[in-house]
Amino acid sequence: MTETIVVTSGKGGVGKTTTSASLAVGLAQRGKKVAVIDFDVGLRNLDLIMGCERRVVYDFVNVIHDECTLKQALIKDKRIETLYVLAASQTRDKDALSKEGVERVLDELVKSNFDYVICDSPAGIEKGAALAMYFADRAIVVVNPEVSSVRDSDRILGLLASKTRRAELGKGGVEQHLLLTRYNPGRVANGDMMGINDVKEILGIEVIGVIPESPGVLTASNAGVPVILDTESDAGQAYADAVARLCGEQRPLRFIQAQKKGLLARLFGS
Amino acid sequence: MATATLTIPEPVVEIKFGQVGIAQLKLKRLDPDGLTAELAEKMATAENLFLRTPLVLDLSHLSTLPDIDTVRDLLARIRSAGMMPVGLSYGTSENDALARALDVPIFAKFRVAPERAPIERAPAAPSPPPRAAPRPPAREPASTPAPAPAPASTPVPASGTGIGMMHNKPVRSGQQIYARGRDLTLTALISHGAEVIADGSIHIYGALRGRALAGAQGDETARIFCREFHAELISIAGQYRVFEDIPAELRGHSIQAWLEGGRLMIARLDAGKS
Repeated sequence: MTETIVVTSGKGGVGKTTTSASLAVGLAQRGKKVAVIDFDVGLRNLDLIMGCERRVVYDFVNVIHDECTLKQALIKDKRIETLYVLAASQTRDKDALSKEGVERVLDELVKSNFDYVICDSPAGIEKGAALAMYFADRAIVVVNPEVSSVRDSDRILGLLASKTRRAELGKGGVEQHLLLTRYNPGRVANGDMMGINDVKEILGIEVIGVIPESPGVLTASNAGVPVILDTESDAGQAYADAVARLCGEQRPLRFIQAQKKGLLARLFGS
Repeated sequence: MATATLTIPEPVVEIKFGQVGIAQLKLKRLDPDGLTAELAEKMATAENLFLRTPLVLDLSHLSTLPDIDTVRDLLARIRSAGMMPVGLSYGTSENDALARALDVPIFAKFRVAPERAPIERAPAAPSPPPRAAPRPPAREPASTPAPAPAPASTPVPASGTGIGMMHNKPVRSGQQIYARGRDLTLTALISHGAEVIADGSIHIYGALRGRALAGAQGDETARIFCREFHAELISIAGQYRVFEDIPAELRGHSIQAWLEGGRLMIARLDAGKS
């Protein structure tokens, strides 16, 4: 059975694409057959993060407009056998997407026995974002621990509860998870940043992962290697935990306590 | 009741509607010179009574409404006689238009409402009862209209069952829930920027961070009960209060809000247990 997961947030720049890429890789590493689709038509980034930008020949819009087959447009990942990327079109805009077209592509992925389809949503609540979430079974709402991101996520959660196929068919809506990114435990301890519990309380849903703010994320993005593959970095490990929880495992949250300064650091005061 | 009542700081402005004595000048026929002569005569007989007295010009006895220049002339004549015309009375829609053109008020008792096309009794304009005149808050006069906008997008179940409406899901930013003609009970949280509206009372068992408007059709007995108070705005029968800062005594506590003598009162339900 195929599960469609939308990665969304409302606000831009919070880490949707980074999260989509790492979740897709993490699930594929567990032997699942995974397709990750970039819904950000006109501002495509997923291919860069996945490191396949030079291999994009056909894209999502081409498939929707019957200009190629889905098979031609799916880019097979070089690192993991069971992972495929469907890039967005850079030369078109969101109006090139249609509900029927998206549905047809997703149906075809179901028939091709994919275990997971990850939909990387654009920012905003307009057509691209609306279509990315419409067919979802589950939603990962990416949120930064700051007020505007939390409010936008709240809006998105409202849309997930009403403007999705599952909600319209009365199937109880989309299963929702919160993923905090750019979390800085030190700043939370100082009271400069909202804590996990603050965010959880305002949004009222459970947290599936907390990704610490980490230089590893930027390095990985620039290199075209999803950060989850960097097993040394805390962010990579945190994404691996989130994937495990997505698959039903119980894992305690890590990297959420401020690091105590070591003796040397305290002596030399930095 | 053992609850401590929290007094709300008085706003700067208070507007009251009440009756004040005002002279009405009925014009029985259009005769400007006659008007000038008669007014001069009255002024001569009782100057103390008429000098600088405010008066309302009533044109309803004329068979046709004079044009704006004629009315300007009439007003100027009254003014030069020593009285102070402050507006027009008796509202027909033309008369209303005339008053607008002259930038003078039409006096409330005679507003045009009865003549207008009947306004649908929709929740779009929950009319506060006439006695409870809306009191604009001092801080944000324009940004927050007291009456709830029509929750057009919210599916409204058939009204008139008399049983309260139950909502068990979170109400998220941008969503509106409206209980027409009844109470509204909400068991989950109400986020910032969300609105819950009822013609009756509102009962909230989650946190209230958005807006709650009870008595949306003007029921002054409606109340708001809330388990965890962080509201942006609450309103009962058009009396509302915006919370730019929530008083520390109320923040996060369970409260109820009601109207007492036209004033919005808020009290903690857990007073003494803090």
